[in-house]
Amino acid sequence: MKIMKCPMNGPRNISEFVWGGEVREMPDPTAASDHEWAEYVFIENNTKGVVREWWMHAPTSYWFIAERNTETDEIVRTYPATELYNSRREFK
Amino acid sequence: MSSHRLPQPYGILIDRSKAITLRFEGRDYPAFQGDTITSALFANGQRVLSRSFKYHRPRGTLSMLAQEANSLVQLPGEPSVRADTTAVPAGIDVRGQNYLGSLSRDWLTVIEWIGPFLPVGFYYKAFYKPKGVWKYWEKLVRALAGLGRIDEHAHHGYADKAYLFADVAVIGGGAAGMQAALDAAGTGAEVILIDDQPRLGGALNYARFDVEGRRGARLAEELRGRVEAARNIQVLTDAVCTGWFADNWLPITQGQRLYKLRARSVVIAAGALEQPMVFRNNDLPGIMYGSAAQRLIRLYGVKPGHRAVVATANDAGYAVALDLIEAGVTVAAVVDLRAEPSASPFASAVAARGITVHQQHTVSEALPGPGKRSLFGVEIDAITGRGVTAGRPHRIECDLLCTSVGYTPAGHLVCHSGGQLVYDAELAMLVIDRLPGGSAVAAGAVNAAFDLDAALAEGTYAGWRAAQLAGLNVGAEPRRPGARAGAAGQNHPWPIFPHPKGKEFIDFDEDLQVKDILNALADGYDDLDLVKRYSTVVMGPSQGRHSALNNMRLATVGAGRELQGATVTTQRPPFQPELLEVLGGRGFQPTRLTAMHHRHLELGAQSMPAGVWLRPAYYGAESRRAENIAAEVRAVRENVGLIDVGTLGKLEIRGPDAAELLNRMYTFAYAKQPVGRSRYVLMTDGTGAIADDGVACRVNEQHFYVTATTSGVDAVYRAMMRWNAEWRLNVDIANVTAAYAAVNLAGPKSREVLSRLVTDIDLGSEAFPYMGVREGHVAGVPARLMRVGFVGELGYEIHVPASQGEHLWDALMREGAAHGIRAFGVEAQRVLRLEKGHIIIGQDTDGLTFPQEAEMGWAIAASKPFYVGKRAIDVQAARPLTRRLVGFTLAAGTTLPEECNITVRGSEIVGRVTSIAMSASLGKAVGLAYVAPDQTEPGTRFDIKLGNGTTIQGEVVPVPFYDPENKRQEM
Amino acid sequence: MNTPLTPQSLARRSFLYRKLAGLGARFAAGNEAAIAASFGGADEAAAARNLGLADLSPRRRVGFKGPGAADWLASQGVTVPEINRCAAQADGAMLFRLGANDLMITTDIGATAALPDRLAAAWAALENPPQSPRGFPMPRQEGFCWLVLTGQHAAAAMAKICGVDLRPHRFAAGEIAQTSVARLSAVVARADISDTLAYQLFADSASAEYWWDCILDAMQEFGGRPVGTEALAAVQGAASGRA
Repeated sequence: MKIMKCPMNGPRNISEFVWGGEVREMPDPTAASDHEWAEYVFIENNTKGVVREWWMHAPTSYWFIAERNTETDEIVRTYPATELYNSRREFK
Repeated sequence: MSSHRLPQPYGILIDRSKAITLRFEGRDYPAFQGDTITSALFANGQRVLSRSFKYHRPRGTLSMLAQEANSLVQLPGEPSVRADTTAVPAGIDVRGQNYLGSLSRDWLTVIEWIGPFLPVGFYYKAFYKPKGVWKYWEKLVRALAGLGRIDEHAHHGYADKAYLFADVAVIGGGAAGMQAALDAAGTGAEVILIDDQPRLGGALNYARFDVEGRRGARLAEELRGRVEAARNIQVLTDAVCTGWFADNWLPITQGQRLYKLRARSVVIAAGALEQPMVFRNNDLPGIMYGSAAQRLIRLYGVKPGHRAVVATANDAGYAVALDLIEAGVTVAAVVDLRAEPSASPFASAVAARGITVHQQHTVSEALPGPGKRSLFGVEIDAITGRGVTAGRPHRIECDLLCTSVGYTPAGHLVCHSGGQLVYDAELAMLVIDRLPGGSAVAAGAVNAAFDLDAALAEGTYAGWRAAQLAGLNVGAEPRRPGARAGAAGQNHPWPIFPHPKGKEFIDFDEDLQVKDILNALADGYDDLDLVKRYSTVVMGPSQGRHSALNNMRLATVGAGRELQGATVTTQRPPFQPELLEVLGGRGFQPTRLTAMHHRHLELGAQSMPAGVWLRPAYYGAESRRAENIAAEVRAVRENVGLIDVGTLGKLEIRGPDAAELLNRMYTFAYAKQPVGRSRYVLMTDGTGAIADDGVACRVNEQHFYVTATTSGVDAVYRAMMRWNAEWRLNVDIANVTAAYAAVNLAGPKSREVLSRLVTDIDLGSEAFPYMGVREGHVAGVPARLMRVGFVGELGYEIHVPASQGEHLWDALMREGAAHGIRAFGVEAQRVLRLEKGHIIIGQDTDGLTFPQEAEMGWAIAASKPFYVGKRAIDVQAARPLTRRLVGFTLAAGTTLPEECNITVRGSEIVGRVTSIAMSASLGKAVGLAYVAPDQTEPGTRFDIKLGNGTTIQGEVVPVPFYDPENKRQEM
Repeated sequence: MNTPLTPQSLARRSFLYRKLAGLGARFAAGNEAAIAASFGGADEAAAARNLGLADLSPRRRVGFKGPGAADWLASQGVTVPEINRCAAQADGAMLFRLGANDLMITTDIGATAALPDRLAAAWAALENPPQSPRGFPMPRQEGFCWLVLTGQHAAAAMAKICGVDLRPHRFAAGEIAQTSVARLSAVVARADISDTLAYQLFADSASAEYWWDCILDAMQEFGGRPVGTEALAAVQGAASGRA
């Protein structure tokens, strides 16, 4: 079993974590075309190489970001979501 | 009987003071504590353990280490037990496997006579054409083949698991492993040393390392003493590491326990496995590796035969000959496959004892005794080329043939971890090509260090390196001897001698002969992996431990490829079979119980799972299920009922952005929801599909108390946490599901009952109206009350601290008694809500249902700028619907459809029935179903196809079915 | 009192009082509930030093969670440690920091610490909704059951149900692991009772009966058994007497 390092709880067995999908910017829902929105909702990029993903440490429900190499399954880096999202998102 | 026992000091693993009995095939054999099934039988002259898989040939041990299927036996509750290494089981009858009749007279040996008609790939060729013919053959083939019988009634014993942690894990407790453990421990590292034998020592315990034959035992004792004295070495004996997974995650089985070891670094010192010689009848009982004979002699004090021939291609064979002589076995001859005589002191010692050595000779055929149950003698012949003999055999009588023609590294774990074994043509040996990155090191014979001093030096280096990899402070790097010291001359490059009459077995597990491999090549399967799949070579229980090397030689050369650099086929965990019982361990399955769970049981509730919770389905005898449910429904409609709804998800959403978070997560609008009121919540996912529902109570401007479905709340909470990690709203989201017990007190008399227990809330219909929320006390317990209408009657959902839930239940049941209160369960609630046309998420919706299909358009605030499903719902709403959920009823006397029966139009499926019940309140069947969008007008008839293929008609009717103006719940 | 206290005679009840009663517990009142004071048998304090499991679920504890919680507690004179550490307070109460703004304060073994009550009252006395962020109360007394696993074999017993290395030389006093214990999300905190190793265990209160059985099962091979609060107090008192 792999070990993943949670930014808050430290290294733990991967079974303590839940995968949350690729980190992707939500397109502006009012401006996006139907096609763009469908891409956003349904299509995973499935990149070969280093990807940025949402992961959650289940016992604490703590969401964070992991950079993982899908080719080698190496976890390159994990860090708090605040590194990417640090201001309030508004919808108008 | 025990004429085969040798005196002490032979037999280091047996305790002669403890006599026990082995029962095998209905007969009793005297044995000692410490004996394995095989050693105990051998001590009594019984060599046949089982029959082979395909030809049902009698088989005995080859390796004395369970490295082939020969020694698989049947215990009453467990098939395919490894007799070589399994301790004599007390009081149960051990049996052989794969025979019809008796082990000594197996009627299925007839298969061997028809062997020529069972070529490799036989099953593929014979049974898959014409199409469908396999199903006729399958029963017969399955009865004849297979490995032992599964007892379908075997009960699960107690098995458990434990985690272990170490800086350094050392796999293999031989000389190199013990030395590595000692050197790693010397740096202060925490070390766990794992060995599959009962006693540390590996080959030191049975093999001969000097002419006098003392060094092994002496060194083993010294190393064991030092290991035992080291406080930071934990030793696991009789323990098998069955895999090597990511980040050094090592499963280790020891008896009924599975350890899960996490190590910072790993030393693999698993040793090498002796390999067989291939010649006609090389599977007869009495033919074994030299090391197998040594194990029998030194470990178990068993004399392996009376008159032996040793066939060898290395110096170890001469050491075996010396061991046999010392144990009182007559060595009739040594057959040395090599051209040049050995210069080793072992060879000189053998010569000094007057043993004839046949240089550049091989065994070309073994001669069976009666019934092929024993060895009668061997034919030996001069070698004239690779795998070719002169054709002038001469016979030597013997009852034991020991072969010593080479080794293969026990590198299975290396392969599990992503490492690789490759063929080194110069050494004629597989060697470790690479180890998993950055945290592993190999030492000893597994790494081709066959010389004992080299193995110890390798151990020292490995211990140092592993400690360094584990992050410890280590001293200067120790000197390493030359790589693969002592490996040259261990392996004969081609110990394979085909015979015109065949039966030269490459793979004992699968009964594969030389010609089977050659035929696979001839059939066009010329790659190792293809040969493996076509012929099943190396796919038996031993996973190629005794067959991969010779198969690789034969198949690679046969296909015209280079052996140098060839790699073995994929080896997968487990290294050794694991009991499912042990893998399962204690089988932790969390079960959640509500505060009133035991009260339900006392009332005779029939429990049903609801997610990880248990809930009462209904109360009373199962034999009166329908009556019990009907009575519960009637109590709610006519008087008052009480249902435990504590399993509902409960979330506290608090902070300045609380309403904004709800606006984004749910479809309705919450910014202007008044304090003290509740509002329905409907969650959709990014694709617009319905995900969950519940009720949001506004406690104050910045505080909502939100319920979610029992099985949906964890996902709802995760989704909220996930989205807000992105949105950064100023709000706290707390999952308080278990903190509150909850009941729904429902029925026309609920207010009367409640008023007897509440003093600080005005329960009047205007002061506390439908959809109102109040805080106060019920039966002295702080409570949050909501007026809800799920079952369509006047009702109060009461939430109290979980620790006081039982007290609340008791008070309500007591005060309700005079009003005919009755506890009701999930089944009655399903009927009650169906009569009101309320949907249940997950029953009346599926993973693709969007709100308009389920007639939930009313719960969508179209003017909101955003909620999670909004964009997708807008897209879908602009398109024509493909199905809609409607209420329907059936003509009197119609068979009720099942929930999930399909609705059809002609041959086309248009939807399905999602809910159905006979409504006593209405005197007719009511249901919900998806139908085509043009079938929704009340009065429309549509077809429902039942499970038995017949069709009934439903009639669309408006919902709610019951109390359409909702007067009762709003009283 | 002439008749012994039974858990059902009070409105507040431990989540697993039936299990405790079935094991022969004698109950004492505290925090408006019955708590298992003793299970009888030979030297219970010695059992606690070997391997004991106690139920402290009825004991007082409060939680504060949400923006501003840690700062507000600090402003109340509470010692706030790093995330995933616990810290004893002046009156013996223990603060467990489960997140940047997720904190729980429990009373002590002897239930003499009043800090949880004082903090709950202080929070409630403030304006609502708040003018400045100060977190929100969390019903930890209801959402978590509270067990204590004590004694020399406690780490070995935990190693059968928890994948985190909790051995005393690797998991120091004051450390918290939020992890999975017998497949249940749990808080494991090392807060020794005097010189006896002790893990304070918190998990879903609705799963308390399941959890209790799993832990007792894991304790069996080491001779572990349930112990009452009196044994814990004795372990604490005996050691402080020596000091």
